[in-house]
Amino acid sequence: MKRGAFLLLAIPLLAWSQSSGEKVFAQSCATGYCHGARGAPAGAPRLAGRGFDQAYITNTIMRGLPGTAMPAFGTSLSRADLAAVVGYVASLNGIANPTVTLGPGPGAAGPAETPLSPEGERGRALFFDAVRGFGRCSTCHEVNGIGISVTTPIANIPADAAALRAISTPEVRTTTVDGEAMPALIVSRGKTRALFYDLTSVPPVLRTVDPGTLKVVDGSAWRHVSVIGAYNDAELASVLAYLREAIKSQ
Amino acid sequence: MRFLLVLFALGTACAQDRSPDGATHSDWPHYGGTQLSWRYSALDQVNTGNVKNLVPVWMFQTGDYAENLQATPIVVDGVMYLITPRIQVFALDAATGRVLWQYKYPTPRPGKPGGMTFLQNRGVAVSDGKVFFGTTDNFLVALDQKTGVEQWKVSVDDPRQCGCDITSAPLVVKDKVIVGGTGGDAAHRGYLTAFYTKNGRFAWRWYVIPGPGEKGHETWKGDSWKLGGGAPWMTGSFDPALNLVYWGTGNAGGDFNDEDRLVPGAKGKEANLYTASVVALDADTGKLRWYHQEVPDDLWDFDSAYECVLIDRPVNGQMRKLLVHMNKSGVTFVLDRVTGEFIGAFSTPEVQTWISGITEDGKLVGRIEPEAGKVVNTCPSATGAKSWNSTAYSPRTGYIYAPINEVCNDLTSTPTEANEGRFHADGGFTLKLPPNRTTYSHLDAWDPITRKRVWSMPYRYILLASVLATAGDLVFSGNPEGDFFALDARTGTKLWSYQTGAGNRGSAVSYSIGGRQYIATPTGWQQAITGAQLAPLFPDEHWRGGSTLVVFALPEVAK
Repeated sequence: MKRGAFLLLAIPLLAWSQSSGEKVFAQSCATGYCHGARGAPAGAPRLAGRGFDQAYITNTIMRGLPGTAMPAFGTSLSRADLAAVVGYVASLNGIANPTVTLGPGPGAAGPAETPLSPEGERGRALFFDAVRGFGRCSTCHEVNGIGISVTTPIANIPADAAALRAISTPEVRTTTVDGEAMPALIVSRGKTRALFYDLTSVPPVLRTVDPGTLKVVDGSAWRHVSVIGAYNDAELASVLAYLREAIKSQ
Repeated sequence: MRFLLVLFALGTACAQDRSPDGATHSDWPHYGGTQLSWRYSALDQVNTGNVKNLVPVWMFQTGDYAENLQATPIVVDGVMYLITPRIQVFALDAATGRVLWQYKYPTPRPGKPGGMTFLQNRGVAVSDGKVFFGTTDNFLVALDQKTGVEQWKVSVDDPRQCGCDITSAPLVVKDKVIVGGTGGDAAHRGYLTAFYTKNGRFAWRWYVIPGPGEKGHETWKGDSWKLGGGAPWMTGSFDPALNLVYWGTGNAGGDFNDEDRLVPGAKGKEANLYTASVVALDADTGKLRWYHQEVPDDLWDFDSAYECVLIDRPVNGQMRKLLVHMNKSGVTFVLDRVTGEFIGAFSTPEVQTWISGITEDGKLVGRIEPEAGKVVNTCPSATGAKSWNSTAYSPRTGYIYAPINEVCNDLTSTPTEANEGRFHADGGFTLKLPPNRTTYSHLDAWDPITRKRVWSMPYRYILLASVLATAGDLVFSGNPEGDFFALDARTGTKLWSYQTGAGNRGSAVSYSIGGRQYIATPTGWQQAITGAQLAPLFPDEHWRGGSTLVVFALPEVAK
């Protein structure tokens, strides 16, 4: 598909403001080692007054510039932020009243931004809490684009902390490699390679082995309760509240 | 060869009693040459008498021109292991450049926009039959050394949350592989993490910033410790006799304003521990044994993340186990590596305004700090009197060889709120060349004990390549114009130079195969960060990017 076709499809027009654009630019682009404030040159080239056209600006921000340090922002910024920063860079290039159309681009939707309840917000902070190091939920679970997807996406949310502790995990199986048995989540078993997560310690380790050396039997002594000890009951309740809100909205 | 083997055997048997050998021999086994980080080869086939005959014998183009080639090649048993910014790993026959295997990392998770993830990689580590490396999306990966097939992979952190990643080479210490991350300038709490080489399982983590209840936590204001930076983003050293791992830590965040992080009344004292420090950790447990904070309340982005050079030298007639450490300001600290005791310091840039001096006990005096609402000019700049490129040490001369840049900056200081994973500099810097000079860098030889500069080779632009020292009394390095050159280690006289075709920002190594000594250097000027920031100071120059390894040796007939 030609880029022109993208742009023709690319409705609706998105509202943006100079101040929101300047803010997103300051946080995501003018980061000292990259572009300078208000499009001045710094570690990365000057962006102000370069004569860029609207299509080039949109495409570069959405898809990045392969072969350079310029990343694709199409999948990592929200649509509102993308619209704001595209509009802002257009304004730096003398495009008066730019109309911003992002097109369907790769994954341009970005995470849904449904506001969370106060308890959900508390649970979100706990789920991703860096202070808990590898003890945080996101060491093994990915929600709304953050975290490590060791497990399949969370679908059934336990009713309370006790149920979360007692959750059954039949997908964890006892795997023996080189004479050592360990709890494992099998990812794939091909002809030449088998992939599995070794759950012996946190964080889980993705191992690649020769399938011939792998022995798998159902059942394991591994329990979910052994990896959520960083949270107390009240905290787990908040985490569950977060999951109910976040996963429903996905 | 037999003689060497006997020596090695003896060395193993009495490892407790002899000072460790920091020189490399036929291999280049670690990032810093050996774990003592000398970047010194004991090979002397190429020497001051014949270096003029040095010729290129093979080249390797990685095909990955995303950034320049920054990796230090690792050479073990005649095989070279080389990594590129987009995480392609090559095993090459180190005598010919023939590819033995290659590995390409799948598309990484994206980093956090506005975070501090970088498209750079400074090298692999090789041990236990595996090749280890960090990735742009914060995994530590182990490949089979013979085949290049992935063995294990573990997520160190989520770049989409922390705004951090791994650009440094890991350090292998006995049965563990230790790695630090970037992200000191993103709101993030820095750490080192150790994993078992055998299976990737977690061994220990040491947080640069102590948590509640730990000593040093009281040096952080409020909750600032949670996002206070300090990332140890380069590679550490290891003393097997002391079983201590040494690492430099990054600056506190926000860089240029301390309002959020400094405890009232702490001005001028130790602050924000253990950022901008050198630390010694127990290699088995990761527990802190001692620390020395070099830049308390760092307000200049002078993080101390660079190499720790471990040498044994007499001081006042007594043999001491020392650690020599230069930070980004160019101030170099000499410490007792058993206790952390301060022994001496010297400042390497010629234009230095950020402090008026250093006291006899290692305190910085006359600090000129950035101030909110003002523009304050200081020298050297936040790009560093020296960047991450490494110094070298020769035990034959006793000198540390260091490339030093003479660049100043106008600092602004703007307090902003820390948002997890977002860039949090609290201000910025505009680079300026100091007035009344015609040269803006120099490659120096410093005696770390007398703290005297023995010689200095001035250069008109800037120097961002590492240094290699050899027992042939040669010092190798390169410049942005593409010249890779050899100097006399005792005098600084230029003995040889070769135009490699692209700017030099890499780290050269030396090794031997079948009795022939090779010198290999990565080439390609850095297109982002420091290389790109400094280039506009010289607008008439066009330093070329690239991604080629160039390997030199003496012609076969001249051996």
